[in-house]
Amino acid sequence: MKKTKEISHEPDLKIPNTILGSQIPRDLFYIPDPNFNYDNDLGDPGEPPYTRGIHRSMFRGRNFTTRQLAGLGLPEDTNERMKFMLDHGATGLSILFDLPTIQMYDSDDSFSEGQIGMSGVCVDSVDDMFRLFKDIPLDKTSISIVTHYPTNTLVLLPMFLVMAEEQGIPFDKLRGSSQNDMTMEELVRSGIDFIPPQDCFRIQNDNIEYLSDHAPNWNTVTLNGYNLRDFGATSITESAVAISNGIATLEEMSERGYDPNEIAKRISFFWCISNDFFEEIARLRAVRRLWFKIMKNRFNITDPKALLMRCHSQTSGISLTQVEPYNNIIRSSFQALAAVLGGTSSLHVDSYDEAYAIPTEESALLSLRTQQIIQKETAITDVVDPLGGSYYVENLTNEIEQKILDEIDIIESDGGYVKSIESGKIYNKIVSYFTEQQKDIDSGKIEIVGKNVYQSDTSLPPIDVFQHSEEVEKEQKQRLANLRLTRNNDDVQISLQALEYNCKRNKNLFPYSMECARARCTEGEIFRTILSAFGPWKPPSFI
Amino acid sequence: MKKIKILLAKLGLDVHNRGLITVAKTLCDAGYEIVYINNAFPKEIISTAIQESVDVVGVSSLCGAHITLGRKLLEEAATYELKEEMIFLIGGVFSPLDIPILEEIGFNKVFTTDITTNQIDLDIKNLINS
Repeated sequence: MKKTKEISHEPDLKIPNTILGSQIPRDLFYIPDPNFNYDNDLGDPGEPPYTRGIHRSMFRGRNFTTRQLAGLGLPEDTNERMKFMLDHGATGLSILFDLPTIQMYDSDDSFSEGQIGMSGVCVDSVDDMFRLFKDIPLDKTSISIVTHYPTNTLVLLPMFLVMAEEQGIPFDKLRGSSQNDMTMEELVRSGIDFIPPQDCFRIQNDNIEYLSDHAPNWNTVTLNGYNLRDFGATSITESAVAISNGIATLEEMSERGYDPNEIAKRISFFWCISNDFFEEIARLRAVRRLWFKIMKNRFNITDPKALLMRCHSQTSGISLTQVEPYNNIIRSSFQALAAVLGGTSSLHVDSYDEAYAIPTEESALLSLRTQQIIQKETAITDVVDPLGGSYYVENLTNEIEQKILDEIDIIESDGGYVKSIESGKIYNKIVSYFTEQQKDIDSGKIEIVGKNVYQSDTSLPPIDVFQHSEEVEKEQKQRLANLRLTRNNDDVQISLQALEYNCKRNKNLFPYSMECARARCTEGEIFRTILSAFGPWKPPSFI
Repeated sequence: MKKIKILLAKLGLDVHNRGLITVAKTLCDAGYEIVYINNAFPKEIISTAIQESVDVVGVSSLCGAHITLGRKLLEEAATYELKEEMIFLIGGVFSPLDIPILEEIGFNKVFTTDITTNQIDLDIKNLINS
């Protein structure tokens, strides 16, 4: 790894104080790096080390996917929102589930009360998947199913696949992704029921294994930096943890006898793009180069498609403010621009009302339009890696790459990715960082316009925000009651028992969860079976 | 002087805990005694509040359950006649229309994401003294 140039203008160093920034000191201006070597450091786009982009023609060849999240109310409500977005030119979709679905409880579970269809769509069984994807061409639309956790993926993705199966769509026609990331299940979330990290990691890789064998065009894992970042980490930690999971996964899959060339092809990333504009651009470039080096040198990967850091990006939710909410449109636009200049493959732009609630149709459309204006009106996407060769961006790219590598080394020396989650090392580091960040926001060291600087006494008219319908909970519970009456409950019991039995054996669990889905088991039934087999785990505590 | 004792919980299934952890750590540093119980539902929150005989109950909700579960929490508190003895706080992401509803339900103070942790500290002291 090349050393970053020594910075010689000590008095001119300035540390940027931005939300979730890395606080890498910046020089007043940057000069050419005497060690710069175009072929080694950059290469043409689509060529190793892929710093400039994963494809030669990048957005000219195929523009980034405009992929907004959709998820609200009943499956039909989300179906309507998906169609609305597609009708307005969206080129991808991400489905977001409500809290009970994310946390894997049924809609009629007492834990779910008051939360059904609130911050996403409620799904309990295969039948809901049919409602959710009604008239959406599954073999033609790239669908990201935000099953955050490995366990969630094991429970929900079979329901999606069984729905496709019952429509006669072969799995090799399905294009899309599920998240399936242990970081989300064991580190980022707060919740009631957890399984031990080792078991969670096994499930993550069981899912990858089944999908690799049966759905070759499905992205088996999306290494989710985003939620770790918005939990309160720097872009460096965000990148290092996601890459460390990638390394651990490829090692595990190699041990299971899989060719890393095949597995790495279907690994993608999900990044958070926050306020430090050039840092975010440099980070995407740095991660592309670093991932390539790790794939080539550590895993001896030769297939060019398996060397590429493909990613979806989303603007930062926690950078949004409730005060003067229209300012959020500007924040998200700058973040979107950074993602595009950094060469993201796919993008979601947060909506201005998201500091209050999930977006309305109007604000979701504005987010889609933000992306489309970048694509159609600004000519920004006509030239690949437009900031390549900037003294500043190249210097920052080098420095960020080194810092990510240093954090990966720390995780490895702490016993690796799974161990560092189990021990709470990563958790504690992040908690210390974001607690300090909040002090800087409270003191005004990190300036946020309208919130702690240039506050205004003018009271603006309130914005319209999403209002939840009370009917959703009633209707979903009724549907679930009907399902429990009409399905074959013997099949349900047999498939759940088979799943539980195999949790304790060294067999891939996915086929057993597919059987549960076919038998119309509900999400909660499948999850509680897994939970009772693996037993509870208590995540690390900060107090 | 006896430390003010605060119970902090994530209300329901909400996954977002950065805000509550930050509040817990800051209040701990400011000299409060903190009982932090992760995710919990109204019955469990109230029974813990009684067991620990806390002065303040603070809950966090960022995913829309604040009205339904918030109301249950205060109803449960009323059952044990705790509303006179304890201070009830809620923080998180709420529609502006919901804030007066939360106050009407009986929360002594509603905090949105734009609040500073120092302000939370001051508000608790003011509520205790009044």
